[in-house]
Amino acid sequence: MANDKESAGTSILVYPTQFQPTNRIMEPRRRVAGPKTDLGMVCGLALSVEHGELYSVSGETGTLNVFPLDAQGNVGPGRRLIGVMPRASAGVFLDVKHDELFITTEHVNRISVYPRTFKQDQEPLRYLQGPATGLADPHGIYVDSETNEIFVSNHGNWHKTETGEGEVRGPDSLTRTSLGYTTPGRALPLAPSTGKFLPPSITVHSRTTSGDAAPLRMIQGPHTLLNLPDGLYRDPVSGEIIVANSGDDSVLFFDKDASGDAAPVRVLKGPATKFKGPAGVSIDAKRNELWVASWDGHVAGVFPRTANGNVAPLRVIRTAPESAPLASMGRIGAVAYDPKRKEILAPN
Amino acid sequence: MIQGAKTLQARTSHYIAVDAVHDELAVPNPFAQAILFFRGGANGNEAPIRIIQGPKTLLSAPDNVAVDPVHREVFTASFPSDSILVFRGDASGDVEPIRILHGPNTKLDRPIRVEVDPTNNVMAVVTDHAILVFNRTDNGDTAPKWIISGPKTGVGTRFSTRDVRLFSEGKKIIAAAAFRGRSSERNEEDAEGRRGGQRFIGVWKYGDNGDIAPWAILNATPITKIPGTRLAINSEGGDLMVGGDGQVSVYHLPEIFQRRD
Repeated sequence: MANDKESAGTSILVYPTQFQPTNRIMEPRRRVAGPKTDLGMVCGLALSVEHGELYSVSGETGTLNVFPLDAQGNVGPGRRLIGVMPRASAGVFLDVKHDELFITTEHVNRISVYPRTFKQDQEPLRYLQGPATGLADPHGIYVDSETNEIFVSNHGNWHKTETGEGEVRGPDSLTRTSLGYTTPGRALPLAPSTGKFLPPSITVHSRTTSGDAAPLRMIQGPHTLLNLPDGLYRDPVSGEIIVANSGDDSVLFFDKDASGDAAPVRVLKGPATKFKGPAGVSIDAKRNELWVASWDGHVAGVFPRTANGNVAPLRVIRTAPESAPLASMGRIGAVAYDPKRKEILAPN
Repeated sequence: MIQGAKTLQARTSHYIAVDAVHDELAVPNPFAQAILFFRGGANGNEAPIRIIQGPKTLLSAPDNVAVDPVHREVFTASFPSDSILVFRGDASGDVEPIRILHGPNTKLDRPIRVEVDPTNNVMAVVTDHAILVFNRTDNGDTAPKWIISGPKTGVGTRFSTRDVRLFSEGKKIIAAAAFRGRSSERNEEDAEGRRGGQRFIGVWKYGDNGDIAPWAILNATPITKIPGTRLAINSEGGDLMVGGDGQVSVYHLPEIFQRRD
C-alpha cells in the first residue's frame, strides 16, 4: 500500500492478505521509507511477482522508482526512470502480458508507456495526449491486455495540452512548469485561457494507440455517480469496471461494455463499509475478494468480490484507531488565517 | 472541511486566500485554469459562489491568489508567463484582467506567489531567487521599487524562496525559503552543515532594497522544527503560522508584529 501522508513519512507498506479479523491497528510486515527511497508523494504502485519488482510513481517528481519486491527500510531504488517523463504522476500499471508500464500524469493530461525494462533516460514507447483524448486530470489507470483497452479515471479539470507538453527536455521543454521552480525555461506568451470543468469520467482507450487519439468510449454523466474517481480495476471474472469513487465514499461497478451516461450496475456504499475517501481498489481473483483502501479513514477493507450495498468488510487492515480523525492533511499547499472565525485554513 | 466534486477544487490545490471584509475564500484551480470563490463559512461538498474562468482571463496554471478587500481586487502570479494578473474582486466568469504587470522591466522571472498590502499600497512577489516589491497599482512593464536578493539576504543564493506575507501595520516583509537540495539528500550536510530542504523564515523592513540581511530571522533548528515554507500571519495575536510536512506550526512571535520598530 502506498502511503503519501507527509506527516507520517511517505512510505510503501506491506501487509499479509490473510489474517484473523481484528479492529486493532496492524503493524506492516515491512515498510519501505526514508530519504534514500526518494518516494516523494508516492501516489501509485504496481508490482511484478514474476520479476520480483515493485514500481512506484510520485505526485511531485517525474520519476518511476523500482524496488526489489522484498525491499525493506531506507533503501534506494534499484532502477529509476528519470528521463523526459512529466512531473506529477498519479497512477502506474504494469501490463504483464506485453511487459509495459503505463503512467498517468494529471498536470498535462497524459498517459505515457514505457518498457518494463526501461533504461534510466528512456523515451516513452508511445503516449496519449491532446484535446481529442478526453483526458482531464487523469488519476487511476488499468490496462486489460486481453481486450487491449486502457481504462482511466478523470477528475474533470481540463485545459488544452499540446502533445509533448510536460516532457522534461531542458530549455527545449514546451513549458517551464515541467522543470520546477529552480530551472529556467521557456516563458509562455499571455494567451487566451482554455480551462474548463468537465464532468468526471472513465475514458477507455486502445492499448496501442498514441498521440491525440479519441477514446474508444467514455463513461460520463449524472447517472454514472462518478465523483472524484480515483483508483480503478477490472473484475477478471465479470469484466466489470470497478472504481474507487473518493468524492462520495463509494465503490462503483460498471458493466464491462458501459458507455455514456450509464448507471453503475451496483454500488458499494454506506456506514458499514467504513469507506472514507476510497482511493484504491483491487481484486484478489485467487480468493474471490475485493480490496478497497480508504485514504481518509486509515483503513483497507476486504469484501466478497460480488458485494453490493451497505456491506461490512470481512476484515480490515487498520493503521490508526477507529476513533482517529480523518487523515485530511496530505501535503499542505498553503496556510491562511481567517480572523473572523479564528481558524487556520490549509489546502492540500 | 471543504471537499468534494461540487467544490471544483483540484486534487493539487496550492493556495487559499481569505477576504475577511467580504467573508470570502479564494482558491485557484491550476488544471481548469480558474479562481474559485467560496463563502467564508463554506463546508463540505459546497459549490463556489462564483468563478473566474475563460479565454479572456489569460489564466494559465494559476496556483496562487491574493485578495485586496479594501480595493476589492484579486491578484495571481502567473508562473508560466512571468506576469501578475489583477481582477476585480467581485469578478465572475470570463473577464479580462484590469491590470497586467508584465515585461522585461518588471524582472518577473518564474513568479511563485504574490501578496498585497492595501494599506501601504505595495505588492510583493516571490520568485525562486528574489523578492520583488511593486506599487499596488503598477501596470504594464514597470520596474519593481525594491528588490531583496543576494548573499546577505539568504534569498537568491542557495535558498529557494517559496512564500511571502506582508505585515502592513509594522511595514514588514516576511518570506519563507528552503535550502536547495532534494528530499533524498536531507540527511546529507554540505560543508557549512546545511541539509537539503533546511528552512528559514526571514523578515525585512519596507524599503529594504538590494543585498540586505533580514531584520529578523527564524532558522530551522531541532527546537523550531520549521515544517515547511507556507506562511500565514495573525498579526493581532502575534502569531506566525508555517505549513508543510503535513502539519501547521504556530510560532508566537510578538516582537515581529510590533506596530513600530
